[in-house]
Amino acid sequence: MAQQNERRERRERQERTSKQLIFRRTVMLMVIFGMLTFIPLGWKLWDVAIVHHEEYQLRQLQQSTRDVEVKSSRGMIRDAKGNIMAMSATVYNLILSPLDLINGFDQKDYKNADGTPDVQAYEAAIRQRRDMITDKVCAVLDLDRETVSKRMEYTWSQYEVLKKNVEGEQAEELRAFIADNKLGYSLVMTPTTKRYYPLSSVASHVVGFVNDSGGAYGVEAAYEDVLEGVSGRVVTSKTGAGTEIYNSYSNYVDAVNGNDITLTLDSNIQRMAEQTLAAGIEKYDIRNGGICLVMEPKTGAMLAMASSPNYDLNHYGTIYDEVLNQQAAALKEQKYQELKSQNLKDEDGKPLTEEELRKKASSAAVSDALNRQWRNKVLNDTYEPGSTFKSMVLAAALETGAVSESDTFYCPGYYVVSGRRISCHDHSGHGSQTLAEAVQNSCNPAFMMIGQKLGAEAFYDYFEAFGLKSKTGIDLPGEATGLVWSRDYFTSAEGYQSLATASFGQRFTVSPLQLLTAVSATVNGGYLMQPYVLQSVSDASGNIIRQTEPTVVRQVISEQTSRQAAEILESVVSEGTGRNAYVAGYRIGGKTGTAEGEVGVKDEEIVSFVGFAPANDPQVIVLLYFDTPGRNVSGSKYGSTGYYISGGQMAAPMAGQLIADVLDYMGVERQYTQEEANAADVSVPKVVGYDLTTAQAALKRKNLTCRTVGQGDVVTGQIPAVGATIPGNSTVILYMGEETPTDQVIVPDLSGLTYDQAKKKLNDLGLYLRASGVSYYSAVTKAQDQSVGPGETVDRGTVIPVRFVDTSVTDSFTPLE
Amino acid sequence: MARKAKRDLTVEEQLARGPVDLPLLMLTMLLLGVGLIMVLSASYATAYYDPKTDSPLAYAIAQARFALLGVAVMYGVSRFNYQYLRVLSVPMLVGAAILLVMVLTPLGVTLNGATRWLKLLLVAGPTFQPSEIAKIAVILFFAARLSKRDSIKKKKWNRRTRLGRTLAWLDKVGFLELVPYGVVLIIIAALLLKEPHLSGTILVMAGGAAVLFAAGVKMYWFVLGGTVAVAGMAIIVKFTPYMTSRIQLWLDPWSDSLGKGYQTIQSLYSIGSGGLLGLGLGKSRQKFLFLPESENDFIFSVAVEELGLVGGVLILGLFMMFILRGYWIALHARDRFGALTAVGITTLFAVQVFLNIGVVTNLIPNTGISLPFFSYGGTALIIQLAEVGIMLSISRQIPAPKQD
Repeated sequence: MAQQNERRERRERQERTSKQLIFRRTVMLMVIFGMLTFIPLGWKLWDVAIVHHEEYQLRQLQQSTRDVEVKSSRGMIRDAKGNIMAMSATVYNLILSPLDLINGFDQKDYKNADGTPDVQAYEAAIRQRRDMITDKVCAVLDLDRETVSKRMEYTWSQYEVLKKNVEGEQAEELRAFIADNKLGYSLVMTPTTKRYYPLSSVASHVVGFVNDSGGAYGVEAAYEDVLEGVSGRVVTSKTGAGTEIYNSYSNYVDAVNGNDITLTLDSNIQRMAEQTLAAGIEKYDIRNGGICLVMEPKTGAMLAMASSPNYDLNHYGTIYDEVLNQQAAALKEQKYQELKSQNLKDEDGKPLTEEELRKKASSAAVSDALNRQWRNKVLNDTYEPGSTFKSMVLAAALETGAVSESDTFYCPGYYVVSGRRISCHDHSGHGSQTLAEAVQNSCNPAFMMIGQKLGAEAFYDYFEAFGLKSKTGIDLPGEATGLVWSRDYFTSAEGYQSLATASFGQRFTVSPLQLLTAVSATVNGGYLMQPYVLQSVSDASGNIIRQTEPTVVRQVISEQTSRQAAEILESVVSEGTGRNAYVAGYRIGGKTGTAEGEVGVKDEEIVSFVGFAPANDPQVIVLLYFDTPGRNVSGSKYGSTGYYISGGQMAAPMAGQLIADVLDYMGVERQYTQEEANAADVSVPKVVGYDLTTAQAALKRKNLTCRTVGQGDVVTGQIPAVGATIPGNSTVILYMGEETPTDQVIVPDLSGLTYDQAKKKLNDLGLYLRASGVSYYSAVTKAQDQSVGPGETVDRGTVIPVRFVDTSVTDSFTPLE
Repeated sequence: MARKAKRDLTVEEQLARGPVDLPLLMLTMLLLGVGLIMVLSASYATAYYDPKTDSPLAYAIAQARFALLGVAVMYGVSRFNYQYLRVLSVPMLVGAAILLVMVLTPLGVTLNGATRWLKLLLVAGPTFQPSEIAKIAVILFFAARLSKRDSIKKKKWNRRTRLGRTLAWLDKVGFLELVPYGVVLIIIAALLLKEPHLSGTILVMAGGAAVLFAAGVKMYWFVLGGTVAVAGMAIIVKFTPYMTSRIQLWLDPWSDSLGKGYQTIQSLYSIGSGGLLGLGLGKSRQKFLFLPESENDFIFSVAVEELGLVGGVLILGLFMMFILRGYWIALHARDRFGALTAVGITTLFAVQVFLNIGVVTNLIPNTGISLPFFSYGGTALIIQLAEVGIMLSISRQIPAPKQD
C-alpha cells in the first residue's frame, strides 16, 4: 500500500514537474516568437519605410513615371506676298521593339500533348509574326528586307527606328496594319514633324534649314525662338510593363506652337535675282559664284538676297550646283594625294588602305563643298568693292564741299602719290574731265585727287558714317565686316597711299550688304538704313504680334547732296561706264566695279554693278557681282566666253535688265525722254482699204513710216497686221494690190552687228528690231543677245528684241604695281 | 443526428462543448478581413493586366470564396473534439508522406521551376501543397506521442553487453527517445527538399522542433542541433556558388537589379515609398506590374506602401497578439496534447510571419514564403483556418476559471 502510494506520489510529482516544464518551455517560446522576433522586423520596417523613405520613393517615381515631350509645331515662313517658304507637317517614325515582340509570346502556351514545352511551335509562332511585319513594312516603305530581318533579331532592344519621316498614305496604311493585327506593343508610329520648303531652292540661304538641334542657318536659325514655340509635356504613370496609366498623377502641359514669320523677301523678285545670277554665271563662265541683292533703298527691306552656289532646302545635304560638284571632285583628288603623302595609320598602327584613304578624302571634300553651299556669301563674305565705292567718295566730297560739280580733273593716265605711280584703267588718260565725267569714266587719278581734297580724317569719318566699319545690323546670323585700316594708320603719313587706293575702292574689304546700304544712303536722301528681312511675326490665328519698322541708323549726307550724287550716278548709266545697264524708261543710276577677288591673286576678279532706279525717286537698289569670270589665257582682258572682263561689260547689262524687270513687277511707271518716247512701242493701225495718203497719215499719227510694194491705189495688205505692237519709228510694209506674203522667215544671227546693221538686216526680212541696252547707238554698240534665237522661223512682221552693249566700256581692273 | 441532452453527455463531450476562445477568433477574423482587403487592392492591377482573367476583381473574388469556405471549415474543426486527433495523427502523417511522394511523380504540378503542388482530385481541381498537410501532421503526431512521454515505461537494457550499455547510455541522455521524431523529420524534409521547397522544410522543422522543445526534451539537444544547423548552413553557403550568390544578393540586391535582385528591390521601393502614412488604400504604384507576386508573397509590401509604417505596424501588432494568444491557449490547455499542439501550430504561424516579413524587408535572404491570412492562395488559406479551428477546439476544453 505504502509502495503503491509512493509510486503514485512519484508519478504525480513527475507529472507536475513535467507540466511545469512544458509551461516553462512554452513561456520561453512565447517570449521568443511572440515578442523578440518582432523587434528586428519592426526595426527593419522603420529603416526601410522611414529612414530610406525619400531615396526609395524617388527611385520608385523614376521607374514609374513617363515623361513625354510633346513637340510644338514650328511656325511657317512666308514671303512678302504670302507664299509659303517653309512649313511643318506631321510625319511618323516607325519604331520596332524586337524585345516586346517576343515577349508577346508565352512559352507556356506552347506545349506538346504530354505537357512538355514545344519549343518549335513557340519559335515558329515568333517567326511567323516577324515575317508578317517584315513583309508589310518592306512592301509599304521600300526598305531593305535583309536589314529589317536582322534588326528583328535584336531581342535586347526595344527601340529600333525602322524608318524616319513616314508620310501620308504610307503612314495611314501602316497605322491600319498595326491596329488590325494588334501589334501596338511591338510596332509603334511616333509622331514627329518634318520641315518642308515648297519653294525648294528659292532664297535657300535666307530661309536656311532645320537640323536635329533646331534652326541651323538663315531665318530658321535667326528666329529660332519665334518659330520654335514651347514644347509641352505629358507626365503619366506607367506600369512595370511600360503601359501608361491615366490617373490622378497624370499631368499635362500643352505645347505652344511657334509663330509664323513673314519676310520682306518677295519670292518673285528673288527668282528674278537668282535667274540673273544663274544666267550671268553661265554666260561669263563664272568660277566662284556670285551674289545679287535687291533692296528697298528707303526702308532697308530686303526684296531678294540671292547667292550662288545655291541648294535645295528640302535636300540640303545634296550638292546641286554643277560648278561646286566639279570643284568637289577636284578637291577629292587633291585631298587624296595629301592624305596619301601623310602616310596615315589606323588605330592598330596599320597603314590605311587605298579605299579608306579615298573614303576619307571624299568625306572631307564633300563636307567642304557642303559648307560652301550653305554659306550665305551676302553676309559671310567680304570683298574689295572697287569702283562701286566711288559713289560714297563722291557723296562725301560733295557734302563737305571739297569738290563742286564745276571742278575739273586732268587725267594723264596715271597719278603719282608719295612717289608711287598709280595707273588709270585707261592708260592713255581721260584728259580733262568735269566731276560728272570723272565719275562716268570711273577715273582713278581723278578720284585720288578727290580723296586728297577730302583729306584722310574726313574720308575716314565718312567711311564710318556710311557704316563700312560696323555691321549693318541685318536680322540674320553670321554677318561679317570687312578689313579696314585703323584710323591712326589711315590718317598718318605712311597711310597716305592708302587714302589714294581707298579713293577708288581698293585695298580694303566690305561685305556686299555694307556696300549696298552705303550706296543706298548715297541716293535715298542720305539715310543709312538698317537692312532687314523680317517683315512681321504673326501667331497661329494670323494676328500680327510684331512688325519691323524701318530703322534709320543715321543721316550721312544731306538730301541735297544725295540728289546731286544720284544725278551724277544716273549719268554713269546714260553716258558712262554703266551704260550697258541702261533700259529705256527706267532712269537707272549706278556704278560699276571691277576689283581683285583676293589681293595679289591674279585672274580672280570680282565684277560688280550697283544700281538703283528711278534715279529721281529710288524704289529699288540692286547689287550684283560675279566672282572670278573664267579665262582661257591668264592675264587676258577677255574671259573664256569672249566677254571683256569688267563690271561695266558683265555685271551692268545683267543688273540693268534685272532692275527693269523688278520695276515692271512692282508696277513703277516708266519715265521716257522725248527720244525714248519716239522709240516706244505703238500698235499698228488698220490701213487696209485706205488709199496711200490716208494710210500714210494714219501711220504718221502713230509715229510709223511705211514703204509700199506694188502699184495699186488702195492698200490691200499690211505687215504687221492690225494691232501688232512694234517700236515707234518702224516701217510698215503696205501691199498695194500685190499679194501679201504669208510665209515664214528664218531669224538671222545678229550678234556683233551695230544697231543700223541689225535693223536693216531684219527689215529686209520683214522683221522688226526692238533694241535695248544702251541709251544711244554708235559704231561701238554691238548686238549681244537676241530674244528670238538665230535659226528660228517666225511670221513676217514679228518684233525681234535685241540687246546691245557698248563695247567701248573698258573699266577693267587695273593692278597696282 | 439529434442533439443529445446535456445529461447524456460524457465528461469529454461536455468539455468539448465549452466556449471557443473569443480573442483568438476575433484576431483571426480581423487578420482575415484585412488580408482580404489587401488581396483586393494588390491583385487588382495584376488581374487587370492578366489576359487570362476577365475582371480585375477575379483574384479578390476567388480569395473571398476560399475565405468563406475556410471560415466554415474552421467552425467545423473547432466543433471537432481534438482528442480524436491523437489517433488520427498517425494516418495523417502517413497520408502526408504518401502525398509528398506523389508530388514527385508526374502528378505533381510545376510552377516557376518547383514541383510543390497536387491537384485536389489528382487530375483536376484547384491545386494545393501537400507540405501544408505535412506541417500540421508532424505537429499532431509529435504532440500526440510526446504527451504520453511520462507514461512510457522505461526499458531495461541488458548491461552485460556492450550494445546494451551503449543503448542504456543513449537512453539516459535522451537520444533513443528522439530517434522516431528524427526519422520522421528527416523523411519529410528530404521529400520537401526534393521538390524543392526550402521554406516548407524550414516550417516543418520549426514546427516539429517547437513541439519537441515544449515537451521538455533536454536543452542540450537543441543547442547541439542549432550548432550543427548553423555550421552546416555556413559550410553550404561557403561552398555552393548558388547559396553564396543568394547571400551576396541579400547583402546587395542592386548587384543584379534587373535579375535576381529585382523582386527585393521592388519590395523595398514599395515599402520605402509608403513612408509613415502610406499613399492611401488602393493607391500603390508598385502593384502595377513592378512588384512581382504583389498579391502573394509580397502583399505586405503593398500594404505598407498603401497604409504606411503605421498600417504595417498595426498588421504586425495583430499578428503579435494572435501569436501571444496562441501560446496563451497552449499554457492553459486542458492536457499536454492540447498544449503541445497549440505550441506547434502557433510557432508555425510565428515562423511563417517572421520569414515573410523578414524577406520583404530584406532582413533575411529571399526564401519565397507566403504571409498567413494575407497571401493569395485558396487551399493554403483553408488549411490555415483549419489550424486555427484546431486551436479553437483546444480552447473549448480549457477549464473555466473557478468562480468564487
